[in-house]
Amino acid sequence: MSMHGRPFATRMPQPVRRPARLVSLVPLVLILAPAAAAAAPLQDALRAYGVQAEHIGRLWNFTLGLCALVFALVLAAFVCALWSARRGDAHTEPDISSLARPERGIYRIIAWAVGISTVGLLALLGADVVTSRALARMPLQDAVNIELIGHQWWWEARYKDADPARQFTTANELHIPVGRPVVVTLRSNDVIHTLWLPNLHGKRDMIPGRTSTLTFRADQPGTYRGQCAEFCGLEHAMMALLVVAEPDAQYQAWAARQRQPAPEPATSRTRRGREVFLGKSCAMCHAIGGTTANAVFGPDLTHLAGRGTIASGMLPNNRGHLGGWISDPQTLKPGVSMPANLMPQEDLHALLDYLETLK
Amino acid sequence: MAAAAAQADPGGDWPMAAHDHANTRYSPLGQITPANARSLKLAFSFKLGPGRGQEAAPIVAGATMFIATPFPNTVYALDLSKPGAPLKWRFDPKPDPAAQGAACCDVVNRGVAYADGRVFMNTLDGQAIALDAASGRELWRTRLADIKKGETVTMAPLVVGDRVLVGNSGGEFGVRGWLAALDAASGRELWRAWSTGPDSEVRIGPDFTPHYAADRGADLGVKSWIGQAWQTGGGAVDGWLSYDAQANLVYHGTGSAAPWNPDQRPGDNKWTAGVFARNPANGQARWYYQWNPHDTWAYGGGNENVLLDMPYKGSARKILVHPDRNGYVYVLDRLSGQVLAADPFVAVTTGEGVDFASGKRKINPQKIPRTGQAVRDICPSSAGAKNWQPSAWSPRTKLLYIPHQDLCQDSATYDVSYIPGTPYLGMDNKMQPGPGGSRGALTAWDVAAGRKRWSIAERFPVWSGALATAGDVVFYGTMDGWFKAVDARSGVPLWRFKADSGIVGQPVSYRGPDGKQYVAVLSGVGGWAGAIVSNGLDPRDGTAARGFVNAMKDLPVYTGKGGTLYVFALP
Amino acid sequence: MSLRCPDTVLACFICLGAGLLQAGCEREQRPTRAPPAASGTGDPSFTAQGVLPADNRYEENAYAVSQGKVWFRTYNCNGCHGQGGGDSGPALMDGAWRYGADPASVYASIAHGRPNGMPAFGQRLPEDQIWQLAAYVRSMSGQLRIDVAPSRSDTLQASEPEGRREKAKTTVDTSGRAGQ
Repeated sequence: MSMHGRPFATRMPQPVRRPARLVSLVPLVLILAPAAAAAAPLQDALRAYGVQAEHIGRLWNFTLGLCALVFALVLAAFVCALWSARRGDAHTEPDISSLARPERGIYRIIAWAVGISTVGLLALLGADVVTSRALARMPLQDAVNIELIGHQWWWEARYKDADPARQFTTANELHIPVGRPVVVTLRSNDVIHTLWLPNLHGKRDMIPGRTSTLTFRADQPGTYRGQCAEFCGLEHAMMALLVVAEPDAQYQAWAARQRQPAPEPATSRTRRGREVFLGKSCAMCHAIGGTTANAVFGPDLTHLAGRGTIASGMLPNNRGHLGGWISDPQTLKPGVSMPANLMPQEDLHALLDYLETLK
Repeated sequence: MAAAAAQADPGGDWPMAAHDHANTRYSPLGQITPANARSLKLAFSFKLGPGRGQEAAPIVAGATMFIATPFPNTVYALDLSKPGAPLKWRFDPKPDPAAQGAACCDVVNRGVAYADGRVFMNTLDGQAIALDAASGRELWRTRLADIKKGETVTMAPLVVGDRVLVGNSGGEFGVRGWLAALDAASGRELWRAWSTGPDSEVRIGPDFTPHYAADRGADLGVKSWIGQAWQTGGGAVDGWLSYDAQANLVYHGTGSAAPWNPDQRPGDNKWTAGVFARNPANGQARWYYQWNPHDTWAYGGGNENVLLDMPYKGSARKILVHPDRNGYVYVLDRLSGQVLAADPFVAVTTGEGVDFASGKRKINPQKIPRTGQAVRDICPSSAGAKNWQPSAWSPRTKLLYIPHQDLCQDSATYDVSYIPGTPYLGMDNKMQPGPGGSRGALTAWDVAAGRKRWSIAERFPVWSGALATAGDVVFYGTMDGWFKAVDARSGVPLWRFKADSGIVGQPVSYRGPDGKQYVAVLSGVGGWAGAIVSNGLDPRDGTAARGFVNAMKDLPVYTGKGGTLYVFALP
Repeated sequence: MSLRCPDTVLACFICLGAGLLQAGCEREQRPTRAPPAASGTGDPSFTAQGVLPADNRYEENAYAVSQGKVWFRTYNCNGCHGQGGGDSGPALMDGAWRYGADPASVYASIAHGRPNGMPAFGQRLPEDQIWQLAAYVRSMSGQLRIDVAPSRSDTLQASEPEGRREKAKTTVDTSGRAGQ
């Protein structure tokens, strides 16, 4: 007799009508959507566009497959057990015969199960080791060296070179050559961040006071979106990064442009814009190469107009968004270090004119 | 052997801070000897005020003594021919008080220079001024520096022929360094040689023949920097200038690179932290050597270059001796710039000498600052094994008397913004006493042998200059207020006098109108080492004064502020 | 078991909780958005009219004070003032002041500059940030409550954290004002 006077399982509940088929389509749509929006930056861990992501993808698939198999087997065993269990009702005595003597063949079943699990785990371990070795063995000849520093809530990139005059600094948008290895040295300026470029590699922590390294290679041209993957404060969710992989010649041209200081403003309006930049609070946090603005708290703006996005990958880089961002960044990213900047409209437009010249 | 081009008046004047163009700080007067030094008595004193670091050398020409004070840079002229040396005139240049906010290392002034009846001075707010020596009347005034960028002038000018050479201070503020030559008669700027930038601005041309390959190439003052970093690269010429009349070369150091955080300025950062040999007529560089490539620990290279003609390692040579901030005494061939020797005079953890083939200092990678991390036991500290305080040479003992400190530091660097008029550092330091146990010493260095002969340990860094005399007596002052005379050969203490404040000035010796030998020094603690007293800093913050306070927390117990000229003679 | 006891206990907890919440709310608010009036740069003409508020709305707010600490390093205040001990500028962690220790005077010192070398930041910084800086500067000499002032720094340890410093008795000595 059960405790509360109701039998265990009397009737199966009626199935609830749900648009099950459509719901199950949603993941499929999400997976396929990036393919449909080919021009938008890709951020998809299931699509590998670089050799490291391919290794990880293979490990992922193998793990998924193996675990799915195990899951299926366990589920099957469960269903079997349910099916072959003796039907009973409230008055049926529970079967406690296994207390008296072990089930027939129990040791054999356990041995098989443990054996299969061990083999499975060893297979996973082996796959993991193979993958790790493959990741570590990516050839590094002719690598592009980038030092990526995480800030709250933007990315600073310093491109390194043996010749100091060929080094340069940019922010939030990396360009890399297709087919050449990229060695990224990761640091953080304040709290722990994590770099995650799902199409190119796995995650790597950026811990203040420590340096970590990530090496990857993009094997196909495209724009890949990454983001911070370690909670780092109010705007952690708004800390994205674009990686543009392009043919080497285009990359070299981009790098050569980045090495140049900002062009001299040519019109009186752009000159006024530069005056506004240097005279107000902008130069207290930002740098524009070739001017006296050389502050490092905020992103380097020397080639701002050449970037596809602003606010660390969150807004498209066009005049309207830039104007709104400068006037009140707190609307989009409350708590971001950049304050609101009230200024007369003519000053704002002159400033925008000037910033648009910073290609 | 003789010091090169000694221009001192054999009558016993002290016309420039370093006594002569060779920077020997050696007085040919021999009346005071180890036998009678214990009888030295105070001849007269003169109250200077204000209570900041008195780093100047009293300048004596004929029967007048000229003293420059820290901000507001009053110049006093004392009439030595009358008993008690009464005031002859005073000159108040009225510099801009805002300049005090741009002075890294106390609002000091290192002295005036006398030549041809004129007295040349610099003010903290960057003006070079010429005065009539007899009346104190202003002859001309030239503004050279912009305090809004954090640029000041603290050094003692050098007169070479008809030119006055002046260099700037402000490397800590991201100011680009320069050395300028002004016409002594009119104050008109004749040329200015920058410490960074394209060759035309650095005045590197066809005459430039550096000894080492690393210093050859076009526009290295741009190419050894990232982007436009050379524009705020430092290299201030805030130290000592020496001059070889025969070779017609001026030797000057360039200061530390900016910012102090080396990660923000990859590359060798030419032409900071090195020594230039230039033609004083047009400023064109003849050679350059970089004491500290990439200036990893913000040492700079502004220490004095003492010019000596002596037999060195077997042959008669014209050498340049330079005790550097990095803890090594260098001997260079001063005509070619080749390094002949580099030997440590303190315990050094940041490197292991110099590679004589390439000329580069061999550095210890473990002590390189890393952004966001603390690196400990960096010896010497950023103040250097020896800072501005000048050493003295005795041709009789062949020893170089080096006043210096023995401090190590812990450093943590961080990314710093360049904001004009604010310090451009990026380094948190905490200094502590070095392994020797005492924080300072006066070391007698045997130049020919390349090692220490004797050393006198002191409680605090010996932040004063040294003076050597023909009587074989060496004078120096300590930060706890003792003015000391020691035997030049053995270092045995002979005499000492307790001044009313710590001594960070440069002692000088002159022959008074009565024929006696006098020794004069300013007391008044301050400078970077004494800032805890002169600027009333709080000892609870170990990083105050860029880490110096951590090593000087007990200084206020031993001394307060002061500002007095003391002059001593035998009775 | 009586029915009234749990209710009384519950009521006590509610009152206590509300009280703590009230006290904590103020400190814990994160005013990331500056009041629109304080979003422009700190115009020096502001104080010429003598309208500076007597106290600083941020002195009860830990977030604002910690932001002030961020600005202190970002804008190189520490270059001249160390981490409170001073350098070429005076020490800020002691009780000695030349131009006044109250929030309005500290604000004016930062915004307008002072004659002996303190630059004027009023044109370069939003007014709101200057108030945050002023609050932090006052915390350096222990003037703020321990729960509002910053605790351990992220930098090379220089001194006791601001929150642990004893409240310095402030004195104003005007003798150092007009040139030394």
